[in-house]
This record gives sequence, structure tokens and C-alpha cells, in this order.
Amino acid sequence: MTKLNLDIIGGPLLVLAGLALPFAGADYLMGIAFNLAMWIALTQSWSILSAMTGYVSLGHVVFCGIGSYVFILTNGTLPMPVALACAGLAAGVMALVIGLPVLRVRGPYFVILTFGLAELAKNVIVQIETSLGQFSRLIFDAPALDTLYFIMFGLAVASTAAAVLVRHSKLGRGLVAIRENEEAAEAIGVPVTRLKLIAFVVAAIIPGIVGGVLLLRTSYFEAAQAFDPVISFSIVTMAIVGGMGTVRGPILGSLAFVLLSELLWARFPQLYMIILGALLILFILFMPRGLSGLFERREARR
Amino acid sequence: MTILDVQGISKSFGGLKALTNVSFSVEEGAIFGLMGANGAGKTTLFAVIAGQIKPSGGSVSFRNRTITGKRPDQICRLGISRTFQIVRPFAGISVLDNVIVSALYGAAASNSHAEAREAGIAALEAVGLAGSADKLAGELTLSGQKRLEIARALATGAEMLLLDEVMAGLTPTEVEEMIATLSELRRARNLTFMLVEHVMGALMALSDRILALDHGVPIAIGTPAEIAANPDVLKVYFG
Ligand SMILES: Nc1ncnc2c1ncn2[C@@H]1O[C@H](COP(=O)(O)OP(=O)(O)OP(=O)(O)O)[C@@H](O)[C@H]1O
Ligand SMILES: [Mg+2]
Repeated sequence: MTKLNLDIIGGPLLVLAGLALPFAGADYLMGIAFNLAMWIALTQSWSILSAMTGYVSLGHVVFCGIGSYVFILTNGTLPMPVALACAGLAAGVMALVIGLPVLRVRGPYFVILTFGLAELAKNVIVQIETSLGQFSRLIFDAPALDTLYFIMFGLAVASTAAAVLVRHSKLGRGLVAIRENEEAAEAIGVPVTRLKLIAFVVAAIIPGIVGGVLLLRTSYFEAAQAFDPVISFSIVTMAIVGGMGTVRGPILGSLAFVLLSELLWARFPQLYMIILGALLILFILFMPRGLSGLFERREARR
Repeated sequence: MTILDVQGISKSFGGLKALTNVSFSVEEGAIFGLMGANGAGKTTLFAVIAGQIKPSGGSVSFRNRTITGKRPDQICRLGISRTFQIVRPFAGISVLDNVIVSALYGAAASNSHAEAREAGIAALEAVGLAGSADKLAGELTLSGQKRLEIARALATGAEMLLLDEVMAGLTPTEVEEMIATLSELRRARNLTFMLVEHVMGALMALSDRILALDHGVPIAIGTPAEIAANPDVLKVYFG
């Protein structure tokens, strides 16, 4: 009950704050909020597959990258909203195509395979771009920051809503059973292959759109950057720092990261990977339920 | 009426013949026992029937429908559910949530959470676990986890349960309770069972018919009294 209360008050407050923010008139603040919304959208979508089924993906960036690429190819020819939809669709189709073979392997093999596939996709696109003589493509007609912010904010809300819906659905119960014991899940009638594939595709669509919006913000496409594996590492770390057990986790994890990056990384960018690694180890060892675990303990005590 | 018909099932793991030409049929409403020493192929036979292991030869039909080659989840939805000798609870979620998944996805698959919850609670009550519904499944004792295996199979709405050594590792009192639970289930729910047990007394007491396996080869089939008097069985068991 208390948990519900916290979410019922906290959720709408966050949404209101998010909506009001552009009216504060500070571009600096809006830039930070844009990043926050982006990480929430990405981490929340990652959790739909990885936190729910235990299939930990280390290649989530691949969907952003594909989204970015499809967006840069279609934007201009197609109206921007349609190009964004194409980006999401392309990521979803890609998940559908690679999902069946990829989701056959489990545990550490899945982690390595997703990482490897993302790197492969990066190199393929880099090669294509090089052979076309394209080293970076520019966007000239990007909308203003507040428009982009609102789109990204919408994606964060949509991603969170999707995570909530999946968690409370029949699908979510099946995914959790897969995480806990896949053979036992199959023996009680859970169509494990189909459910994993559905989760994979659902988890891919929003990152695809995020990839497109991110391009509009940076205003150029460069394959090595669009498929940067550090994005995947960051997502996993945020999910673990925030806590994998609840929908709050990705929000808290993203918040912590964006704050940290404002305080630290803006000044000492070379520390990024070190701190990422240190946080990961600390949280896995000492706070496996993440930041949201703190709330749960408080609620349990009341 | 025959509910399960097993015809000439064989299974080899590399050079090892785990099952050799096993045939038998099970009548609806019966308790059919399987006996055999460690490694005789009992669990392998369950896995073949439930679809986790593809047999090297032979076929299985359930209600006159061939099920060999179907996936485990499909076979479950047709009405057969097995338990695991080495228990496989969904340890990180509650006991009730364990059985709710069964009710949502099994043979009696329901899309309503309220209905699934009701079916789940009924299954927990049937095995005497209702009092532990809110515990994490991983916190149950071994006896509790064996009961949860049965409850989860039950909550799928299966007509036929394959129970793999649900009494192994239990104290004599717990074995008595388990025998009572199974007898009551059979009476109240009109189920068909296949039982694997090393607890001979329990197997003899519960089964209508028994198949004895020796290194994957069927050596005798009959009523408990016939099995107990069978010279081949006596030879394998007592030398
Ligand atoms: N997946 C497998 N790969 C290789 N060999 C296997 C496999 N599963 C079972 N076996 C072998 O097949 C034989 C039959 O094993 P099975 O588990 O069916 O026996 P069981 O009758 O259930 O024995 P127990 O009473 O110990 O449970 C054993 O020799 C076992 O080692
Ligand atoms: Mg066995």
C-alpha cells in the first residue's frame, strides 16, 4: 500500500516537473533534463528484457544505432515524425530477426553475444559509410531544444509506462518465470521462446526512436559514436545502481548518473569508465537491490 | 479408457541406452507406478513424455493424439504436467506467484488474474501449502518445495501429473502426509498419475499398476502384488 502511495504521489510529480521544466527558461537545465529523459527511456526499455527475464544484454546500444542510421537516411525524404517512427520500427524489426538465434543462448554467453553483435553492427555500418565516402552526416533542420526535450520526455514516459504494463501483465509473469527457471517455466505451459522474443522486440522499439531524437540533438551522424558500446555499459550500470526489482530503479539510476556526470564527468571525463566500473562492483556487492532497495526497506519498516 | 499410450520408446545418450523399447499404457484415473534402480531411466521417460527430451525412437500419444515432437509448453497445455526430481522452484518470487504462473499459462490457461489467483490458492490448499502462500519459494523447506512442485503442476489444470520422487528426502511422517495428499487429490480431482518413487511401500500402496525398468529395459508390468512376486524383479532387486 505504502509503495503504491509513493508511486501515486511521486509519479505524477515527476511528470509535472518534467512538463514544467522548459518554462524555467534555462537551456542548461533543459540539456540536463534531455539527457535524464534519454537515459530513463533507454534503461527502462532495457529492463523490460533484461531485468524481467534475466537475459542481460550488453548490446542495447545497437537499437539506438540502427534507429539513428535509419533516421538519418529517411529524414528529409520523409517528414520528421514519420522518420522517427521508421527508426523505432527498424529497431523492432531488427530485434525480431536477430532475436530467435540470439535468445537461444543464456547467461554469460548471451551477455557476450549481445556485446559482440552490437560491435559487429557498428563495424558493418562504419564500413558501409566509409565505402560510400560518408564520414559524418549532418542535420540542418533540427527543431529547437524544447521541442526535442518534449519528445524525449514523452519517450521516457512511454518507456516507463511500458515497463509498468509489462510488469503487471500475464506477459510479465511469464517473463519472471523464465528468469527464475526456464525449464520449469516451459513445463508449466509458458511459451518461452515466444515470450522472450516479444520482450526483445518491445525493448528495442523505444531505443530506436531515441537514436533518431539524439541525432537531432547532436545534429550529426557518425557510426562509431551512434553505436558506442559505452552507452550499453552505462545502461546496465544505471539499471543495477537504480535496482532491477522495480520500475523506479531505472529512474533512480538515471537520476544518480546524470547528477554525477554534472558534478564530475563534465570536469574529469577520463574518470567515466573507472567510476562506472567502481559503482557496478560496489552496488553488486553491497546493494544488490540498488537505490530503490532503500525505499523498499523504509516501506517495509513502516 | 486409455489416456496415455507409450509405444516402443527408446533413448540413447551417446553410447548409453537410457531407454530400450519401452511400451505401456495408462488408464484414465489410474495411478501408474515406475520402479527401477538409480539410472534405470525413470526420469528420462518422464522427460520424453513431457517433451523435454526427444526420443531416439517410438511415440507417445495422449488421448489418442500423438504428442511426440511437440514442445513441453504445448504438451502442458494439452493436459500433462510433470514435476522435477531436483526441485526447480521460482525461488525469488512468492509461493502464490509460483502457482499463479501455472494457472495463467497451463492447460486451463486463464487471462484473468483473479481467476488464476483462485486456481493457485486452490492448488496450494490441496497440497497443504496455503499457509506459506506469501513466503518466497526459496525459503520453503525441501518438503515444502516438493509440495510446491506438485501444486505448480496441479495449478496448470493438468489431467495427468507425472510426479518424480516427490517423497525422496522426506521424513517418514512427511511421507505419510504425502501419501494422504495424493490419495485425496486423486479422489477429489479425478486425476491420472504416473509416480516414480524409491520409497517402495508408498509406491506399492498407491499404484494400480507398476512398470519395472532395469537399465532402461522394461522387465515387468502388472499390479503391485504381481510385481512383488515377479522373479525377474526379485532377481534385479535382491540378486
Ligand atoms: N542429459 C543426459 N545426458 C547424458 N546421459 C544422461 C542424461 N540424462 C540421463 N542420462 C543417463 O541416463 C541414465 C538414466 O538416467 P535417469 O535420470 O533417467 O535415471 P533414473 O531412473 O531417473 O535414476 P534416479 O533413480 O537416480 O533418479 C543414467 O545412466 C544417466 O546417467
Ligand atoms: Mg530420476
